[in-house]
Parts: sequence; C-alpha cells; structure tokens
Amino acid sequence: MPPISRRHEASSWVTLALALAALPCFAAPAPDLGTDQQRQAGKPLYDRHCSQCHGEKGDGLGVAAPFLSPKPRDFTSGKFKIRTTPSGALPTTQDLKAIIRAGMPYTAMPGWPQFNDRQLTDVAYYVKSFAADFADPDRQPEPIQSPPVPAISGESIGRGKKLYEELGCARCHGETGRSDGVAAPTLTDDWGYLIRSADLTRRWTFRGGPTRQEIFRAFSTGLNGTPMPSFVDALTVEQRWDLADFVYSLSPRDSPEYATLLVAKKVARELDLAEGAKLFEEAEPAYFPVIGQIMQPGRAFHPSCNGIAVRAVYNETDIAFELRWNDMRAEVTGKNGPELAVAAAEDEGDEPAAAPPAAEGGGGWGDAEAAAPAAEPAAAPADVWGEGEAGAAASAAVPQSEFSDAVAIQFPAEKSLTIRKPYFVFGDKGNAVNLWFVDLAKPEPALYVGRGSDSLEPLGPRDLTVTRGYDKGEWTVVFKRRLRSQGEVTFEEQGFLPIAFSVWDGLAGERGNKRGLTNWWTVYLSPDEKPSLVREMAKWGGLAFALEVVFIGWARRRAHNSAGS
Amino acid sequence: MKLAIVLAVVAVMVVLRLVRAGLLVWLAAWWVGTYAVLRYGFVTPIPASALHIFMAITALSLFAYATSSRERMRATYEPVLAFASESRFTLPLALVAASIPGVVAWSVYQGLQQPLQPPYFGRTVHPSPPAEITSRGEKVDLARAANPFRNLEKTDVQAFRRHVENGRRVYYRNCFFCHGDDLGGAGMYAHGLDPVPANFLDSGVLPMFQESFFFWRIAKGGPGMPDEGAPGDSAMPEWERMLSNEEMWDVILFLYDDAGYRPRALEAVGAEVAH
Repeated sequence: MPPISRRHEASSWVTLALALAALPCFAAPAPDLGTDQQRQAGKPLYDRHCSQCHGEKGDGLGVAAPFLSPKPRDFTSGKFKIRTTPSGALPTTQDLKAIIRAGMPYTAMPGWPQFNDRQLTDVAYYVKSFAADFADPDRQPEPIQSPPVPAISGESIGRGKKLYEELGCARCHGETGRSDGVAAPTLTDDWGYLIRSADLTRRWTFRGGPTRQEIFRAFSTGLNGTPMPSFVDALTVEQRWDLADFVYSLSPRDSPEYATLLVAKKVARELDLAEGAKLFEEAEPAYFPVIGQIMQPGRAFHPSCNGIAVRAVYNETDIAFELRWNDMRAEVTGKNGPELAVAAAEDEGDEPAAAPPAAEGGGGWGDAEAAAPAAEPAAAPADVWGEGEAGAAASAAVPQSEFSDAVAIQFPAEKSLTIRKPYFVFGDKGNAVNLWFVDLAKPEPALYVGRGSDSLEPLGPRDLTVTRGYDKGEWTVVFKRRLRSQGEVTFEEQGFLPIAFSVWDGLAGERGNKRGLTNWWTVYLSPDEKPSLVREMAKWGGLAFALEVVFIGWARRRAHNSAGS
Repeated sequence: MKLAIVLAVVAVMVVLRLVRAGLLVWLAAWWVGTYAVLRYGFVTPIPASALHIFMAITALSLFAYATSSRERMRATYEPVLAFASESRFTLPLALVAASIPGVVAWSVYQGLQQPLQPPYFGRTVHPSPPAEITSRGEKVDLARAANPFRNLEKTDVQAFRRHVENGRRVYYRNCFFCHGDDLGGAGMYAHGLDPVPANFLDSGVLPMFQESFFFWRIAKGGPGMPDEGAPGDSAMPEWERMLSNEEMWDVILFLYDDAGYRPRALEAVGAEVAH
C-alpha cells in the first residue's frame, strides 16, 4: 500500500465525517410511492386481476378469500412474507414486483409473467397505496445485502443439521422436515388463521422459491406475519448458509417430477409384508400429484396432502402397493370412510364457521371455509421458541380429531383400458370402481364397490391385507391383494390399468367426499424379463444382413448367367 | 416456411439436372427432398403421423413413376444390380453391406430406449352436445337457447354489468382453482389434471361456440360428455349440483367479457333464421 500523504489523509477524514453526517439521509431513502399516474395505471390492472382475492380495498377480503388457504395477503397491514428487507420491515417495490411476477407455488397466488415491467411497477405502486406505512419516512425499507453464494458441501449440510437441531426448527418443521413438529398443528398467522409450516422435504412448494439463495433469504428476512422468524441476528452469514444447505438437502430433487405411470416390478419371492420397505426396494417409485376434491359437493379446496409416492411389486399370485405421504400428525382414533357425509354448510365459503373451529371435527384444521380465525390470538414468534414442554402442551391443545386418517386406491371394477373409464371420483352408475380403503384407526381394511360417491357398497375386507406405519410425519401404508379375484379388478402381466388414489387427513376433518384425490393415472405390470437389448439388435441386424446376402447372391448369379448366355 | 431449406432442396435439384443424374438418383433425391421440406421446412412442425402418411404417398408415387415403363424400370434397377454384382464396386458394396445391419441395429436400440408410455386414447376435446338438456328442472334447447341475459347488453347495461360481476364472483369461488386467475387454464390444481383444464384465452374455445354449448359443459361437466370426450377422466364438475342456472349463465357472460371474445352467433335451425 503506498503511503498516504498527510494532506490526503486529512481530506479523507473530512470526507468520512461528511459521509457520517449524511448517513441518516441515505439510511432513510425517500418513500418510493410512484407517481399518481403510475398508481392510477395500476388500479385497473389490480381491480381486474388481483381484487378477486385481495379485495378492492386491499384488505385480503376478496370474493374468493373464504375459499382460500393460505389466505390472500391483507395489503393494508404492510406485512409481506417474501422480501429482501429485515424482519418486520416493509418490502421494497422491487420485492413486490418480484413476487407478483413469480407467484407463490402451491397457493392460489399465480405468477404474472404476462405483465411487463411497467405494468408490474404500476400494480406494485397501487398495492403500496393500501398501507399508509409505505409513506412513512421512518419506515423506508433497506434490503439486506445478499452475499455471494458459497459452494454447498457435505460439511456445510452437516453444520446446518446441527444448527437445525440446536435452534429447535423441528418444533414446527419436524425432525426430518416433514412439517410435523409438535407445534405444527397450533401455528397461526398474525390474523389468527391456522397456517402450515413449510414441508422442507418438498422444496418446490416453498412460497419464496426453492433455490439455496431463496432459502438463505428466508433465514435472513423471516416471513412477516407468520411465526417464521429472521435469523439475521442469531446466526452469522456462514451459519445461515449452512442452515440453508441443510434445508436444501432435505428435498430429494428440484421439482416434484410427477409421474403418469407406475411400473409394478415382478419379483420371484413371496410378498411378505413384514419385510417393509425392503419388499419394494427394486421397484421404481412414482410420485403423483394430489389435488382437492372440488368436483362434487363436500368439497375440499385445500386438502392437507399434495402428493403421494407409490411403489408396487407383484409375483405369480399377488400384488402389493406401498403408499407414502406426509401428514402433520397421525390421527389414529375416531373414524373415517369414503361414504361419510359432509354437511352442505361446510361446502359454503360465504358463511363464517358458526361454531368455533375447534368444536368441529377438524380441530380448526378444516378446509378454507372452516378456517375462520382461531380463537387464540397469534402466537408471537418468541412464544414459538419457548420451552419444549410448552410446545407439546400447545399441540395437545389441538384435540384429536373426530376423524381418523385414511387412504384408498381405486381401480376400474372391470378391465377398462378404453377411453371410457369409470368416473374418477368413485365411479359412475354404469361403470363401477373397486376401492381398497383403510381407515388408519381400524385394524382391518375394507373393499368397496363405487358407482358414484353417493353409491358406495362395502364388501368387507375379503382377502385384502394391509400394514401401516407413521414415522416422523410420514404415513406408509401397504396393500396386498390377489392378482385375480372373482368379480373384481384383474391384474395381468404386461397389462396396463387405470389407478387413482384418495387421501384423507383426519386432523383437517377430511372424510367422505372432503379429501385429496388424484386423477386416473396408469399402473403397468412389467414382465420379469425385459427383452435383451443386445439380442434384439443382433436379431434384426442379422436379418438385414441375411437379406443383403440373398440379394447380392441373386444379383451376381443373374449377372453371371446373362454374361454366360 | 423456412425458405433456406426449400431453396437448398431446389438448388440440389438444379445441380442434379445439370450433371444429368440417372433416374435412381432422381428418385432418391425426390424422396429425400420431400422429406427435408416436410420435416424441416415448416416453422410449426407437422405431426409425425401426417409426415409418415405424406412420405408413404411420395414413395408410392415414385414407385409408380419408376415402374411406368420398361426403360424407367431398367434405369432404376440396373444401377442397383450393377452395384451388387460388378467387381469394381466390391469395396463400396462391402461397406454398404456392413453398414445397413448397423443402421437397423441402431434403430432397434433407439426404439427400445423409448420410455414406457401408458396407452393413449385420443379424446374429442369439444364433443358434440345433445339436442336438449334438463338443468335443475329446466329444459334447455342447446341448438336454440341464447344466454337469457345476453340481450341486457343492449337494453340495460347496468343490469348486464351486474350479471357479469356476479359471474366474476362465481368464477373466483369455483372455477379458478383449475382454469386459472387469468382464465388461461393454469389454475393451482391444473398440474394434477389430465385432461388439462380449458384455456379460455385460446381463440379456439370461446369464439368457436355458442353460449349454450358452455352452458351444457358447465351444467353437466365431465360426466355429461359422450364417450369420445373421455367422461371418466375429466375433472369438470356437474355444476348443476352446486350452482343455479342463472349463476351458470352469468359465469358465461363473465368469461366472454373478461377474455374479450364474442360468442358465435346462433345458427339457422330449421325454418327459424337468426338475424
């Protein structure tokens, strides 16, 4: 470093002093509210595209709001989840534009990539006009600097895991990140609505995005209005990256990679369910999207489950399906059944739930319509980080539901590999489905024949066998059945069959038609011996060569003959 | 059209003409040239099945041309026979003879590498409606019925707007979960559906039908479709179970209003002529 001259040094001090004096001005930039013209241009866009959920006054009480969970943002509160600014601070205009453009996955907030930059700016300024805080010169947000992204490594993941345990993240997010912490059923937002902690094993559902940078940002900024705090003071930048790396590592992949086809693997041995997961280790898993049953009355607009992982194996006589899905808490008391009635009133979003939500079957974790603000005010973030016993007590305060968890596989009753399948919601009059159902509070499964959701005929367990287990936020249920049963679905080697699933979360009061379900997808029973690649190539290549030899031989003979004659 | 591809094919043809290529070369050039133009010459690719049909027709025409006279036949097969039998071609013949089984084996390999696909049943996306339906006890003649609130657009604009606004309310409480906030068919549950929800921004949907068509599709949903529409797969509910007829007509008004399309005019039915 070259020596600095005395005079130069003096002038730097003056500059520094001036800079320090000027600092408050820089720290509090002028409110960025846009021009009247911009806000006016934003209003029609907002009214047309945003007001249905967020309300014309920006209060989050649009016409769709009763049917939504999580609830639409109340812009008048100035509380925004996804920001680059410190916990409790307002978002920047850029933050608002970014979230409008990207949307929030697995919520009713879609991305708006069709808006150009000017339109996004206009809408963002209009949204800012709903909360007076944005005009407050003392509340002007300053983004938290985002440091360069370090490399992810086994060590950083290991350090993050340790932090995850020390900080008590598991209290809400669960030991393995499946959103099954003891406090998870009790979590509410600042408006008193029950909300779910993020399922860390499905990073594609993260509201703020699935990348390491976005996870890091969540730790730096917290999610305003929710119990998720900021760790900007508690953790160093390096520690936050470690934690982000660990959380990132909990998901198996970037995207859900939803399947359309389940391949059942043929095995030579007995299908012994006592083997557990080992029985299925050769089988390829298929992950199917689960959506709300919103096709028929008794609708579930936001079921608890959003995906189910399935594996299948079969031998000469039997077939077994393993179903795995995440569930915040196992409900193994009470009852459930595909035929249970759902009161018509539960389907109406208009009326606020008449009784306190806890009095309903779902302990408040009902669907959108039941999710009126919980009686208890929102827990301040500090409470959430209290003692373990307090959390356990809080969880116990959410009583066991009157309804248990349950799951079902559905097949067409008759071989139906045509364009005309039975209706995927429990069949129809002319086309029956077979339902393999298990109420996880009961030891025995049950078979049903479905000819529509109002026409379900129980057949008893017959020879359907089932094992189940709940471990750290994940249900694993295995069904086993003969390949051929009189009057029921028949499985054939190398055969394709439609298959569908239903999942009921008892805690959310799901039963009967109120559930998560899938479309028809397909299961294929792959033969134990696939045609050998080399043999097939040699066969057809050899055939081509033989034809060539015959042709050339014939041509030469012909030429020889004509030359001779 | 991609002009560069077409010009390249024409240029090759011109060169072949100048060098006075034999008939066999011409036949090969026509087949390859046709394939090149059809496969690579279009900005929007033509479907593989259509391409196969066109190429089969091309092959048949070339075969018909080659066999249309003795001279042409001879001009076609004699170079092949000469190549197969004359000793001066032994080396290239050996190369060709060796490469053909290789190509066959490669294509078999490619075929077996294809991922396993579930069987596909082509469905009619917009199947024909029945002549008449009964929705919530009310008979609706689908060929003749107009939206009962459409005329308010001219007679009572305020009442019309009320119906549109009610339609908006119905849409955002029932439909947008699948059909999307912007009517584009990409709602929050669209990823779990096959067939996918209708995209009302597509110019092939709203403007192509009368409003009564949508009334039928809304009231009777997926299960109300004829078999060619794959009624067991469609997640479209039978909305007559959850909405009133007025709400269904209102939501149709809203769809046209918000997407900025006009419904297709009623067609002349029998003696009635719609003006």
